[in-house]
Parts: sequence; C-alpha cells; structure tokens
Amino acid sequence: MKAERLFRVLGLVDEDLIEEAASPAVRQRKFPLWKVLTAAACLTLVCGFSLTWLVTGGFQGMGSSAPGETSGSGIVTDNEPSSEEGTTFMSYAGPVFPLTLAEENSGLPAKRTTTWDFAPGTYQDGTPRQWGAAVTDRYTVVNITESDQTVTALYPFAGSFRNLASQRPTVTVDGEEAEGPLYAGAYAGGFRDAGVDDGSTWNLQYPDSWMDYKALLDDGSYLNEALGDGLVLDTPVAVYEFTDFTAPANYDAATQAIAFTIDQEKTTVLTYGFNGASWDEDTGWRQYSYFVPNGIRRDKDPKLLVVLGDDIKDYALDGYENGGCEKEIDGVSCTVTRLQMTLDQVLDLLCRNYLETYADWQYGMDTDEVAAVPDALFRRAVNELMVQYGPLAGDNTADRYDSGRLDDIVSEAMSMDRVLYLAVSVNIPAGGQVDITFTMWKEPSFDFGCSGSENVGLQGYDFVTQLGSNLDFTGQRAALANADNIQIQRQNFGFDLEKGVTEVTLNPEIAHYYLEIRPNE
Amino acid sequence: MEDSDIIELYWQRDQSAIAETSEKYGGFLWNIAWNVLRSHGDAEECVNDTYLRTWNAIPPARPSAFRAWLGRITRNLSLDRWKQSRAEKRGGDGMEVLLGELDQCVPAPHGTEQALEDREIAGLISAFLRTLPQELRIMFLRRYWYGEDLADIAVKLGCGQGKVKSSLFRTRKALRAYLEKEGVSL
Repeated sequence: MKAERLFRVLGLVDEDLIEEAASPAVRQRKFPLWKVLTAAACLTLVCGFSLTWLVTGGFQGMGSSAPGETSGSGIVTDNEPSSEEGTTFMSYAGPVFPLTLAEENSGLPAKRTTTWDFAPGTYQDGTPRQWGAAVTDRYTVVNITESDQTVTALYPFAGSFRNLASQRPTVTVDGEEAEGPLYAGAYAGGFRDAGVDDGSTWNLQYPDSWMDYKALLDDGSYLNEALGDGLVLDTPVAVYEFTDFTAPANYDAATQAIAFTIDQEKTTVLTYGFNGASWDEDTGWRQYSYFVPNGIRRDKDPKLLVVLGDDIKDYALDGYENGGCEKEIDGVSCTVTRLQMTLDQVLDLLCRNYLETYADWQYGMDTDEVAAVPDALFRRAVNELMVQYGPLAGDNTADRYDSGRLDDIVSEAMSMDRVLYLAVSVNIPAGGQVDITFTMWKEPSFDFGCSGSENVGLQGYDFVTQLGSNLDFTGQRAALANADNIQIQRQNFGFDLEKGVTEVTLNPEIAHYYLEIRPNE
Repeated sequence: MEDSDIIELYWQRDQSAIAETSEKYGGFLWNIAWNVLRSHGDAEECVNDTYLRTWNAIPPARPSAFRAWLGRITRNLSLDRWKQSRAEKRGGDGMEVLLGELDQCVPAPHGTEQALEDREIAGLISAFLRTLPQELRIMFLRRYWYGEDLADIAVKLGCGQGKVKSSLFRTRKALRAYLEKEGVSL
C-alpha cells in the first residue's frame, strides 16, 4: 500500500528534523486574558494590539477550494479505505451512513438495501431539474435470540439545522410511519486560515471527504456525546442592554460607542448586536460600538454586552459621526440597563430571538424551515460551540470566535455541518424480523458552477457500509432507480447502466462506495 | 550517560548498553510503538526487539543521531507488527487512520514519474519539510513520524486541536503537490 511505503519513507527523513520535532517547546498563547470562570468552561480572549473589527458578515468557509483528484472509473477491488477513491468536491454533502443501535452488543444481524432514485425534480417554473436523489435506505433486522427485543434504532445523516426541513429522513417500521426524537452531534468540521498560510483559524473548514466523517465517528464518542446531556452554562453574568436609541438625522452612520477599561485577567466581555470594537491589550481599554438604529426605540435584535467575571465600571458613552469612531458628535444617546442573569439565560434569549425574528430574513429561511429546527437541539448546539471552539474553549478557541461575538456563535450553530441522528424505537419479536426504512432527499456533492473546475456539473454521492454502526450486516445491496436521465462518470459500486445492471451486491469489507453522475444533456 | 558512551558500550559488547539505552530512551521508544500499535504488549515487544536489533547492528554501525536512529527501528518494527496484527484482525485502527491521512499525500500517477529509492524520496521530503514554518514541520513529524494523536500534539505545541488538524490537512495537500511536481511515484 502506498501510504505504508510513504510511512516508511518518512522514517528516513533527515535526523535533525526528527530531533527538532522530538521535544518541541510549548508555545504559550501570547495574550491569555481570561481565567476559568466556571467548572465547565475556560474563557480565553486573544486580542491584537489596538485592533478594530467591523461586522462584515464574517468569513465564509466552503470546504476544500481545490478540485480533487480522481483515480478513474471501474470497480475498486482494493478494500483499503482511501479518500482518493472519488472526487474531492468543493461542496461535500456527506455520505449515506448505516443504521446503528443505541444498545451495544445487540447481536442482531441485519440486511441493508440502499436505493438512489434519480427521478428528476422540477424548478419553480416546472421545468425538469436533475439535481440530487431520493434515497431509500432499507434494513431488515432479525432477532435471532429467544426473547423479544426492544431496541432504539439511530439513523445518522449529515446536515445542519438550517437545512433540516429538506434533509430530515422519514421512517417507516414494517410499512407504518414512525416517529422518534432527533439528536444532533457537534460541528463536524474544523477551521482553516483566511488565505494566508499562518496556521490561523479564521475560516470554517467543513468536512470534504468521507474520511473526515470516519475520523469523527470511528470511536463512537461523537454519538455518545450527541446522546448525552447538554452543557450547562450557569455562570452568573452582568448584562448591559442598550435601548432607546437616538441620533441626529443628518448622519447616515451615526454610531454609539461605549468605552471602559477592564482587568483582562478577571473580566470577559461578549457582545451581541454590536458592529465594531477596539481594544488595547496593554491597558485593558475597550470600546464597543453600533450604528444607531435611528428612530427605533428597541432594535429587533437586542444589543447586549455580556460581562463574565469582574463587572465593568466607569464606562463612557460617546456618539460618533460613523463607525470609525474618530469624530465625536452630539445628540447620540441610548438607555443602558444592567441586568443580572446567567449565561444560559442570555443564550436562551438570543436563540429564541434568532428563531423568532432573525433567521427568516438573514438566511432566507421560510416559516417551515424555521419550524423544522428543534429549539432545544439548536440551543444545545450553541452551548456546545461556545465550549468547543467559541469564547469558552480556552486554548481551543478558534480565531473566528476570539472577539466574543455571540452573533457569530448563534448564527453559525444554525448553519454548521453536523451529523444528526433520527431515533426510532423498534420491537422485534423473538425469532422474528422487522423492516425499517428511511427515506430522504440527498443533495449531491458538487463543484461550484463559477469555479471553472472540470467537475462542474458532476454530482457525487457517497456511501459508507459500516462506519459508526454496531449492526452485524449479513448483506448489503445498492440499487439505482429512474437512472434514464443520468450518466455514470465514476463509481466503485459496479453499476452498468448500458447493460442494465442497476442493482449490485456490496462488499462489506469496502468501507466506502462512491457514485458520480452527470445528467444527460 | 552520553549517547556516544552508550554506543561505546555496544562496541565493547557490554550488555549494560541495553540497560542504559532502555533507561534513557525506553519511554521515548515505547511511545512511538504505542502510537502505532495501541497495545501495551505489542509495544513492549517492539521496544525489546529494538534493543536486539541495536545490539546486532552496533558494531559495525556508529549512529550519529542515536535517538532518531533508535526511533526509526522501533517505528519500522511497529509498522510490521501492526500489519501482522491487522492480518490477524486484532490490531487497533489508529494506524489505519494515520495511513488514511497519508494517502492524501500520495501523488497521483501521471506516467512520467521516477521510481526513486526510499532514501531519495525521503531526501525530497526533508527538503520539502525545510520549506515549512517550523511549527507546521513539527506538527507534521509528530503526527506522521511519531504517530502522535492530534490532542497530544496540540498540548505539546500549546495550541488547539482544530489548528493541528487544519495545519496537517494543508501540509498533506502541499506535500502531495510537491511530490507530484517532483515526479515522484510511490
């Protein structure tokens, strides 16, 4: 195997490089400003010298930016898992995962048949659209024990709260519709730099191959955390709410700023609804500002400063001509109300506000899409992000969240890729079997149309046979339906549309299958 | 004891050489084996085999960088042991993950590659690593030479796991592009 040879070859790199890596000096973060304030969370904020940020909508990560390589077509007989079996797309939709059970060592064998139905859909104007596939993932689970068994079937699928309305599978048990709770895992991706190779973590980096999901799900901890209790963030916080906005009408971008000085070792400041910030890490001086929503008593979004640790004091409120906060003007004012809350209560408020009044226009979510988001799961995901990569993550805080903007945390918890689990309770009589069928629409992986990539127009569909599943699969089959309007470009399933081979038996030793198609002209 | 003194003990066929090696580098070698094998017993055996190989190799060898030299032996023995374990379906999957990641560094074939010897390829990779910022170079080698977990690397380098993961991803892509540019075939 080539990777093995590469591993051996790496063993021969120069000895001084090996020695250099043997005992690396631990790098200290340059500006550790926050101390541990709760048992669950360590707050760290790293500031640049007199930095100023202005809200620009943030960086938008979109996974790998380069078209990947392919290994050609045909049936793959090598069962070594490899991310290079298929194309690495710019937008990766994630694989179809196998069913698993909440119960360990159930000893229940199962057969699986997965069908991709390529019946074309339509655009809004009614013209045909060959995009995505309706996936039916059917399992026959057999109870070979001598006692009836009740198990919780967990069906994983890649998605986000933002797109849950279109991604959530439906489930039938022996032909009858069934329902069960949904569980959500944490953010499935990582972070990357903003185009400068400096090791920073400004951009989201979504999973871009099945191997990323393999790394995520292989040891079972991701699922366990998804099924576990959510994090409690009951840290007491002082909340400064800004209302009653006024500003002279002759300024287009009149700005309200609040300035104060803190002991950076003892105080953490998070913001929501603010547009700019400046700070000096030498003196602890901070200034946060927002554009005055002229003539509005209370903005649809709250404007909050959330203070953890020692409270702020002796703050100054000043009005400025614009967001640059350089030329002061008269007539800018607001009412600042101090509230005592817990961090959980603040996040409850922000999430509720986001779902009720904000999501509908910022991300173009319609009422049904918003309704499909389970409030409690979304709320839980916000806490998770706060602690995993956000301002409570200590040294793991991504640069992206270093500034403490809760706006980013809340909105991105909504849109981040994650693995969700649809649960359904199933009774299987002794010696009997049950059919569990999941149906969902699966968006393909693809390259962006404007990218100029040779893979524009190619649709990728990934499938994994065993990843994350504790079922004992005695057989797996894959099938295509309504494939008249597609051409298979690359695959390792073994379909042959010309010869009418639209159903194949899968090798359970092959961890990953891929199918890449193009719609017929 | 200085490395040169330990090596001298081997040259004198003094069996205390092994005890001295074990005392100074036993933990270092065990960690390498453990990172690959994830089995206490197998790791222990690989380390012991390392001492045996060293005893047989010195003399005539007189390694200049003794620690790296020992580590190489352990690393190769561990890979062999891992392959054997996998064939017997009793091996952990940590190495599978490592190799899966390294797959992303394997250059795509173009038909004009050179069939280079391992040492020549290693020389090219060394040159590539020297072009990287030190932090990225160390991350890469700690992961793929020492086989360390992302979490352990993050702790050692005082940064977050996410940064380690994303940095490794970039380095793998860059190494693959570099090997392709150099026309290397694996």
